[in-house]
Amino acid sequence: MALGARRGQGGNGSSYLFLIPALLLYSAFVVYPLFTGLTYSFFSWKGTLRDSFAGLDNYAGLLSGSFLDQLLPALGHNALLFAGTMLVQNTLGLAFALALSRVRRGKRALQTMFALPYLVNPLVIGYLWTLLLSPAFGPVNALLKPLGLAMPWLGDPDTALPTVIVITTWQWVGFPMLLFSAALGGIPQEYAEAARTDGAGSWQVLRRITLPLLKPAMATVTILSFIGSMGTFALVYALGGSNGAPAGATDVLGLLFYRTAFASGDVNALGTSSALAVFMFTFIFGSTLLLERVLRRKA
Amino acid sequence: MRLAAAAVALAMAVTACAPSTTTRADQGKITLSVWGWGPEANYDKMFAEYEKANPGVDVDARSFTTATEYDTILSTGLAGDNGPDLAWLRAGANLQPLVEAGRLLPLDTKDVPGLAAYDEKVLRYAKGDKDGKVYGVPFAVQTLQVIYNKKIFADNGITPPKTYDEMISSAQKLKAKGIIPFAFGGKDDWMLPIVASIFGTAHWGGDDFIAAVKAKQKKFADPRFVEGIDQLNKLKPYFPDNAAGVSYTDAQILFSSGKAAMFPGGLWELNFFGENAKDIELGVFTPPVPEGQGLMPGFTDGSYGVNVKTRHKAEALKFAAWLASKDYGQLYTDTLRIFSAVPGVTPKDPLLGEVSTTFDRHGATYFMNEFAYGNPSSAAVFSKALQEMLLGRITAKQAAEQLDKSVSTWL
Repeated sequence: MALGARRGQGGNGSSYLFLIPALLLYSAFVVYPLFTGLTYSFFSWKGTLRDSFAGLDNYAGLLSGSFLDQLLPALGHNALLFAGTMLVQNTLGLAFALALSRVRRGKRALQTMFALPYLVNPLVIGYLWTLLLSPAFGPVNALLKPLGLAMPWLGDPDTALPTVIVITTWQWVGFPMLLFSAALGGIPQEYAEAARTDGAGSWQVLRRITLPLLKPAMATVTILSFIGSMGTFALVYALGGSNGAPAGATDVLGLLFYRTAFASGDVNALGTSSALAVFMFTFIFGSTLLLERVLRRKA
Repeated sequence: MRLAAAAVALAMAVTACAPSTTTRADQGKITLSVWGWGPEANYDKMFAEYEKANPGVDVDARSFTTATEYDTILSTGLAGDNGPDLAWLRAGANLQPLVEAGRLLPLDTKDVPGLAAYDEKVLRYAKGDKDGKVYGVPFAVQTLQVIYNKKIFADNGITPPKTYDEMISSAQKLKAKGIIPFAFGGKDDWMLPIVASIFGTAHWGGDDFIAAVKAKQKKFADPRFVEGIDQLNKLKPYFPDNAAGVSYTDAQILFSSGKAAMFPGGLWELNFFGENAKDIELGVFTPPVPEGQGLMPGFTDGSYGVNVKTRHKAEALKFAAWLASKDYGQLYTDTLRIFSAVPGVTPKDPLLGEVSTTFDRHGATYFMNEFAYGNPSSAAVFSKALQEMLLGRITAKQAAEQLDKSVSTWL
């Protein structure tokens, strides 16, 4: 009876009831840790023992000379990774999607093949590529040697980050490709046909019709790439270790956090790393919101 | 999905409430749990000896093979109520967070008489920096030297060098024959200060220099220290091509596959090569310097500490006393083929015996562990600087200056 009565009122109250389990889990595993991380950053620590209230001291520590010397290059590398991902991975993803939209037979199989590497854990991919690119035993250099192009791809600071971008692309290119493919499938054929009837070439159709209609998909891909590039850890860790070898050329925020929290041996490691985590969260979250605003307005 | 997550949460809650593993068993037998890293089987074997002599005690060794996560696992374990009774502790700087948090029982010679016999140089790494108390029984001393392939040496008419010039000419000879003289890779940057100290410690005068830096009488930019680390640049022709891009594992494989004749590294490599390159006969030497005899750097690798919350304090301390005894030292050295930190142990293994003699005569402190403080730690800063030096981006002097700058933030 009661149930029937409630249903009669529109059912809004009971539908909230179903959200409770998810809300509880979300609070326990996402909101609560985020909040404790925030509070941790305002205290000084002795190992895992909370010491005294430190105010903004931990944040001031982030800006101290020796720490800032690591923070800024790491942030710069994250930004370069994002730029590289946009230029190489997403451009290639778009090209694959456009090419595949003309393929009639085996489209599915090709899509699966392009997307396959992203099913593999980035750590595995990282170790695999370290072996492939090893200057002592790697098959890649063995192939390039006759051409005079053999070099320590991951061992030279000039080539290390571009190599990371290439490997990231190799792993993730299937993802923008799938998104763009889906968006392409949603564009009615009539637009292109009408344009062609009016005498537009295929380049004009692409530039004036297809690309503008892909803008929402591009915005999504850009935002996801940004979040991915800023939070990257596993692949760079597997390729260059926790210090971002060689000579810090592949150091990123994730590695810096890992080192600060778990590998520094500093008594106040928990305080400093919590402050860094809060900074990272605020920075990534804020930038994402901003990016979304700008892109959505344009789209 | 949600159900699975809830099940996991429930399971976690149940485990958290479960009684500790260190409960009294029915027959009044006590279980002491010990946490550490490295192969568990070795510890079971060694601790079985203790169980034989002490029938009332069952020692349960638990090993966390992921050494990088061990610190987190241990600090969490000790903070809660389910921690071990005893645990392996890191040496020096990395021990301090646990000491400052008050997680460990200070040890004195009343409870652990063996500690009295330890060399102060060894014991220092198990002490709290602020209170000077001992918090662990050191278990191992690692030495750093050059390991060489006896067959390659013999085939090329080379013997372990007595002088610096001889070392260089032998290296040239090997290189001319297409053999890489030194298997060394600088991609994993923790290897860089190790190798710099193997070739350089005698250049900067070992412990006296380190003491002078600590007393702020000298700086690392001192010409002698710069000359020491510059050895990496001078020996670069005898390292693999693009040494800065060669990883630690690559270097190990270069040596174990017989492509390289020598491997500058820690004594722990003997174990690795013993298992992975069974047919290679190994020798060791300490690189000479132009002035003559070289110095062999070494460091205390870790110690056994007692959890301040242990429910079996008396038994744990008795076990700690055994860990500081010669019996355990001998057992440790012979089982693991690593130096025990217990004084007066003579290794059965002849190679280890040779290293032991050299270390007694020409031992020095591995400098980097003395300067592993700060955030970022000076060790991390200097490892990176050495990597840049090896890549030719900065000079040895600039690398030393970077170390000075980092050290000045905490010394």
